Amino acid sequence: MTQHDDLDMLAAEYALGTLDADTRADVARRRQQEPELEALIQAWEARLAPLGDEAVAVAPGPELKERIEQRIRTIEAEAQRPQAEQAPTQKPEQAATSASDQSQVATLRRRLVRWQWSTGLATAAALVLAVILAGPLNKAPSDPSFVAVFQEDDRQPAFMLSVDLSNKQLNVLPVSAEPLANKSYQLWIKEDSLGPNPRSVGVLNDDLSLDADALSDYDSALLKRATFGISIEPSGGSPTGQPTGPAIHGYLYPTGQAGAQRL
Amino acid sequence: MPNASRPSSTAAASSPPASSAGIAHLCDLLEHVAQKDRQAFADLYDATSAKLYGAVLRILRDRGSADDVLQEAYVKIWQQAAVFDAGRASPITWMVTIARHLAIDELRRQPKGYREPEESLAQTPDEGPSAQDELHQEQDARRLYHCLDTLEDGRQEMVRLAYLEGWSRADLATHFDQPVNTVKTWLHRALKQLKGCLAS
Repeated sequence: MTQHDDLDMLAAEYALGTLDADTRADVARRRQQEPELEALIQAWEARLAPLGDEAVAVAPGPELKERIEQRIRTIEAEAQRPQAEQAPTQKPEQAATSASDQSQVATLRRRLVRWQWSTGLATAAALVLAVILAGPLNKAPSDPSFVAVFQEDDRQPAFMLSVDLSNKQLNVLPVSAEPLANKSYQLWIKEDSLGPNPRSVGVLNDDLSLDADALSDYDSALLKRATFGISIEPSGGSPTGQPTGPAIHGYLYPTGQAGAQRL
Repeated sequence: MPNASRPSSTAAASSPPASSAGIAHLCDLLEHVAQKDRQAFADLYDATSAKLYGAVLRILRDRGSADDVLQEAYVKIWQQAAVFDAGRASPITWMVTIARHLAIDELRRQPKGYREPEESLAQTPDEGPSAQDELHQEQDARRLYHCLDTLEDGRQEMVRLAYLEGWSRADLATHFDQPVNTVKTWLHRALKQLKGCLAS
């Protein structure tokens, strides 16, 4: 009860806006992972919302609308480019590393999520993840692939993970990540129905690849909801069965959503 | 790329002026925005930007950074329209919340300057009915103001300074000349009291 009260007050102060920058960032991150906190925040936003009517409406300058529309055109153009440029023989790997995907990473930097595995490891401050929307990788729009980017900092993606939900084939693609001496990268999956702890998908090979069938035992609906992470482990993988090193994580996002939903 | 054209089945042709934008209309626009309908986005912007900009400007008090934050907010609205859930929030609350939080985050990034409460804060809102003045929202507002009136002296002002102007605990502590922990205690007490009053 007390714990719930504390969480409720955290949600209340987040909605009210009185928290300092670090705590705000922490709450913004946690709400993605904690449905209870998310619900409490939304309840407080709703309670306090009428206060917003006190702020007098002010029309923004007329040029701002054009600026915003231009920004959105750019975002959409970038989101579509991988499809348009994709040659029939092009492999997913090539599409995934195209310059436009890189620029999407920059564009969608706001989506960055900082995260820690729930096992209470040292904060992996330098290791963050972005999830991007990319064009389908060699797939028709009706056959969605999903891409997650595992990212080391705000600029450079470390890995990209694509999963074709129709056949549950995965492809891990190192972008800026390099093989580490005496260390291994390990891919993890976490989803509520799998219990509170991440489950190992597999230890990346020395060339940073991973067996394409490693996710074939999971159903597609679960994969869509799951969080994925890559941690740095002792050579050969985690000795404990849980991530022991800094982790980078993120959700899968439907790719080519714009195209698929366009009427 | 050509603009996605809007399905003709919706009454898109008659885009009403901002002042008559109701909840249902905004929900409808957001639904189209979720499908990357840029005309709907332009209409949504016309109907809501003054409201969002007012909230952001009140917090940041600087048109330059308010412009940037408003852009960021509408990009986010464009990208996240699909996750808007009309069952959980009113469309305008959802949008203002996005803009407000971006503005507060921006404010926290800016170097600390001395902040005085805006003069208009003491006034109760007296401008005409806003675009979102639908009946149940008025009722929500009446209940909230009734409950704010039950708070101890000064606490209502704290809540409004925080919500409308983005003041942090530390800002409030300076203004009310109290230790930060005292402010935290006061805030928690006031918020719990509000919650209880609103639930009764």
